[in-house]
Amino acid sequence: MYITFVKKLTADGNPCRKCAEVEKRLNDAGLASSIDSTVIADERDPHSEGMQLAQQYQVDTAPFFLVRMGDGETRVYTIYFRFVNEILKAKTTEQEAAADILDSRHDLDFI
Amino acid sequence: MTNTFDIEAHAGTFRDKGPDEVLDFAYRHFDNIAISFSGAEDVALVDMASRINPDLQVFSLDTGRLHIETYRFLEQVRERYNLKLEVLSPDSAQLETFVREKGLYSFYRDGHKECCGVRKIVPLRRKLHTVDAWITGQRKDQSPTRANVPVMEADAAFSTAGHTLYKFNPLANWSSEQVWTYIRENDVPYNELHNRGYISIGCEPCTRPILPNQHERAGRWWWEEATMKECGLHAGNAGNSG
Repeated sequence: MYITFVKKLTADGNPCRKCAEVEKRLNDAGLASSIDSTVIADERDPHSEGMQLAQQYQVDTAPFFLVRMGDGETRVYTIYFRFVNEILKAKTTEQEAAADILDSRHDLDFI
Repeated sequence: MTNTFDIEAHAGTFRDKGPDEVLDFAYRHFDNIAISFSGAEDVALVDMASRINPDLQVFSLDTGRLHIETYRFLEQVRERYNLKLEVLSPDSAQLETFVREKGLYSFYRDGHKECCGVRKIVPLRRKLHTVDAWITGQRKDQSPTRANVPVMEADAAFSTAGHTLYKFNPLANWSSEQVWTYIRENDVPYNELHNRGYISIGCEPCTRPILPNQHERAGRWWWEEATMKECGLHAGNAGNSG
């Protein structure tokens, strides 16, 4: 298994809010060492590796994780709690899951 | 329902179809399927579905902060369509902890997402773990964040490793005007708040009437307008701060 973390740099060169938050959560939970590579999606540069991966896997939010499984399949995770639950087998609370869902699916808060 | 459900192929076939055809398809393929009814103009969906399947599974999220008019309307819809309307409440322990720590109006200070998480998303997630598919009234014209809402999709937010949840948005291609034409022509009951300038209806503290020509989403979380940012990954979105 090989895990790639794709985070976005905004126009001012800083990580996007959610990307910084997810990175901090990975560190706080002691999970950062599970990430094999970190790739930048620089919104100032559509040819940056992360932007290319986003296009390739049709992802339109940041951050996201690409997980290449042993059988060659690549899974895409755009919601943090699903990634850590399913891939890293780490626990999250219901409230954390709810916050992640709302952060990644902006259409849902109008439900 | 079948486990070999090719959602992408079906989504392509139904991309431009109207609500009747999408609903009919959904009910032909899924037995354990529920409508999420918000107590607003998505009542049109309940009306349409009741003509296809008289034994509807419908649920509403009672955040505890809805307008009294919305509660009355939920009851009206329950009676009109003879529904066993399932009204879902927040987890009491989580809500008590949240209110004790943050108070009753934290959303004006901290943003609405934490409150929505406790009052809506947690109970919604619990409910969706019990069904195979759900139906919403989401439309493309409701907000920029819904511009790409498909008529059907695998629900990435609520699926689990062992259970793919499917989501149907039969009204995706309809405009607000089409929905209201349907409501009037079919004598469908509607929330009386609509008569008072409310277009999009949510919780009482977070909803307000709007003025002519304002977008309907101007009536929700208006105090966050200046700070609503998304973590989009489009080359042209320079300026969003993520």
